Amino acid sequence: MEGEKMTDQEIRAESERRAMDKNDQEIIRKAMDEGVETAWDRFALQQPQCGFGQLGVCCNNCSMGPCRVDPFGGKTSHGVCGANVDTIVARNLLDDLSVGAAAHSDHGREVVEVLLETAEGKSQGYQITDIEKLKVLATEYGIKTEGRDKEEIAKDLALGILEEFGTVKGKLQLAERAPAQTKEIWKKAGIMPRGIDREIVEALHRVHMGVDADYVNILLHAMRTSLSDGWGGSMAATECSDILFGTPKPITSLTNLATLSKEKVNIVLHGHNPLLSQVIVNAAEDPELKKFAKEKGAQGINLVGMCCTGNELLMRSGIPIAGSFLDQELAIATGAVEAMIVDYQCIFPSVPATAGCYHTKVITTSTKAKIIGTIYKEFNPENAIDTAKEIIKLAIENFPNRNPDRVRIPEKPMKVMAGFSEETIRKALGGTYKPLIDAIVAGTIKGCVGIVGCNNPRIKQDYGHITLAKELIKRNILVVETGCAAIACGKAGLLVPEAADMAGEGLASVCKLLGIPPVLHMGSCVDCSRILVLAANIAKELGVGIGDLPLGGAAPEWYSQKAISIGTYFVASGVYTVLGIPPKIFGSSNVLNLLADGVKGITNSAFAVEPDPVLAADLLEAEINRKRKALNI
Amino acid sequence: MKTVFVRQERCVGCRHCEVACALEHSEDKSLIPFILNERNSKPRIFVEVIDNYQKFPNRCRHCDPAPCMQVCPTGSLFRDEETGSVLVDYLKCISCGVCAMACPFGIIQFQKMPQLELSREVNAKCDNCIGRLDEGRIPACVEACKTSALEFGDINDLIRASRTDFTTRLVRSRGAETEVPIIPANIKAFKAVMEKISTLS
Repeated sequence: MEGEKMTDQEIRAESERRAMDKNDQEIIRKAMDEGVETAWDRFALQQPQCGFGQLGVCCNNCSMGPCRVDPFGGKTSHGVCGANVDTIVARNLLDDLSVGAAAHSDHGREVVEVLLETAEGKSQGYQITDIEKLKVLATEYGIKTEGRDKEEIAKDLALGILEEFGTVKGKLQLAERAPAQTKEIWKKAGIMPRGIDREIVEALHRVHMGVDADYVNILLHAMRTSLSDGWGGSMAATECSDILFGTPKPITSLTNLATLSKEKVNIVLHGHNPLLSQVIVNAAEDPELKKFAKEKGAQGINLVGMCCTGNELLMRSGIPIAGSFLDQELAIATGAVEAMIVDYQCIFPSVPATAGCYHTKVITTSTKAKIIGTIYKEFNPENAIDTAKEIIKLAIENFPNRNPDRVRIPEKPMKVMAGFSEETIRKALGGTYKPLIDAIVAGTIKGCVGIVGCNNPRIKQDYGHITLAKELIKRNILVVETGCAAIACGKAGLLVPEAADMAGEGLASVCKLLGIPPVLHMGSCVDCSRILVLAANIAKELGVGIGDLPLGGAAPEWYSQKAISIGTYFVASGVYTVLGIPPKIFGSSNVLNLLADGVKGITNSAFAVEPDPVLAADLLEAEINRKRKALNI
Repeated sequence: MKTVFVRQERCVGCRHCEVACALEHSEDKSLIPFILNERNSKPRIFVEVIDNYQKFPNRCRHCDPAPCMQVCPTGSLFRDEETGSVLVDYLKCISCGVCAMACPFGIIQFQKMPQLELSREVNAKCDNCIGRLDEGRIPACVEACKTSALEFGDINDLIRASRTDFTTRLVRSRGAETEVPIIPANIKAFKAVMEKISTLS
């Protein structure tokens, strides 16, 4: 590509190589025509990527290094400190996993803090919305609810959860939701999480030179750290977001880049935390702001989501979602975005550079995630509405700067149905999982797979998610999704009840009976905790552990450290998980064998790596059949 | 005859050889000053990649006879008889690029030589680290390679290992099914996954 211009045909072929979705392809071509750089271009420029890093055998932890082990068994078999390849690979994995767990759990902490401030009347624009859930959680935490007002309960609950980040009691209340058999496995393996922050801090301690050198011990702690995320920080994020903004219920909306508007002020809400974006959703209803938009020549304000902030808003408020991780630059490249508002996680640091090619303003809002070249409007719960209005005003003021000659918005948005929280699924089934269990026992539905995770330019955008989901539903396996996986299947039309026609006979009949899609959108990536609760409740109703259920997990296009934590808490909870992208562990056969095989003896689940989604479906189906057989069904 | 032998199957694409080469040909030969002094030297070895998993460190083979030497109109390319290295007299080079057209490996690059204060870009091909060879050391790229994808030594010695592999593959009694050279199973698994990813549609 360097130096010479590609022909239209070459650009078309390249756009089809990069993404599945026709709308995405259209804007990829526009970006390429206009010379706007995207992640795919940077990925090509990064080739070849270092094999030491890809194999996990590069250790850059201390200043005697960086060291790398010859993966072919040559003389450099140890780092300067004497760490062997197993120690180095396991330490690197724990390091990555802890970063992911920290991202989820620190997000969770902020939500709990806002719950506390709301209970104390110190926040602006928040209220305690789901009182039923508040009471359920309060009861779990042993907090008295009777005769107390919701603020009092919420204050005690928020303090109770916050305490678990640095707790001295040595256990997490939410992890008590796991079935007894599953908890027994954790206790026996010594991986019961003891505190949310504690496991992460201890992980960082262990990766320091001269601490943990036993790869098995390191990986066991990795499992414990991931559990403190899934059954701790992430679950706290989900539950407290529900209390503040409402537990999602089935809702219909639209997705893909065609959700951007030609006539209205387009504001893209990108990132992961709903705290500010949900307030923006409410603030955008302000008649003054609507009037201001008209004055500036727009027909209104069009809010669209992106990535997991988008998932949160879609689930609760039906805000259309423009796309997933690899769509963030494409949205800007439509030339129609007045403002992209970001909180944190998965924001390309190059977003202001992309925005600089158009009139788009990028607004950073978190003190933890500043990017040079953006406008910084610090979000604080005490003045959330004021900040939200200020940001919307900024976007409206930018509308006249839009250059219509450089705007292209795809034509057809896709319909989606989202909002499948665990509570909603349970209520739809009549308050008990018995109908679902009966369908599974009868074989009408063979089992259930959670497809989660990101996009990765290594693989055609959405190809892994969509192909795997289609394969599974065809085989009468119900699919539940979060994160970019859910957005991918939304764009492909799998999140509508009519998609039941693509499912096998049994699954299709159940979906049609309930009027639900065969692929259920369960939320953002912290909402993988909803999948855990779903699995736990089904297991408890059956009187077994999660590891006994005919379940599977998959991350066909993962890229982020958060996905490592999710995959690991799935496996540690008993869910066999197939990764489409190899984790950086192939340098050590021992680590590889432990995670793909040895762990089965502990949790009755394991990891597998299979990039081909059809073959991944084979693996998942085989695992589901194995577990069905063990249950005698 | 001594040469740098490439074992492609061992290249992991870390590009450490490229860094070591640029550093060796810089004024200071030390990483931090090199980075601070405008990085005025570029690598003469190139880790090329195909489909994101096949890697090959491409480098001057110091051919004999060398096509580049044969076509150079000013005789700026010459051979160091002792080491067999094909070298460039930068002052004689007229930057015509004919050597690059003749090179069967496409590894000739032109760059400014700050050490010589020449304003034009001249043929800055691999010099086999002639200075290091004179001191009895091995080329910088080979020293940097920690997977032995690059090896320096007598060509016949280095070929011998490949020959044994080749023979093993031919002779059934030695186990013609045995795949040689032997690559660890985990590395083979990794390569298979990467190959699969690159061919997914």
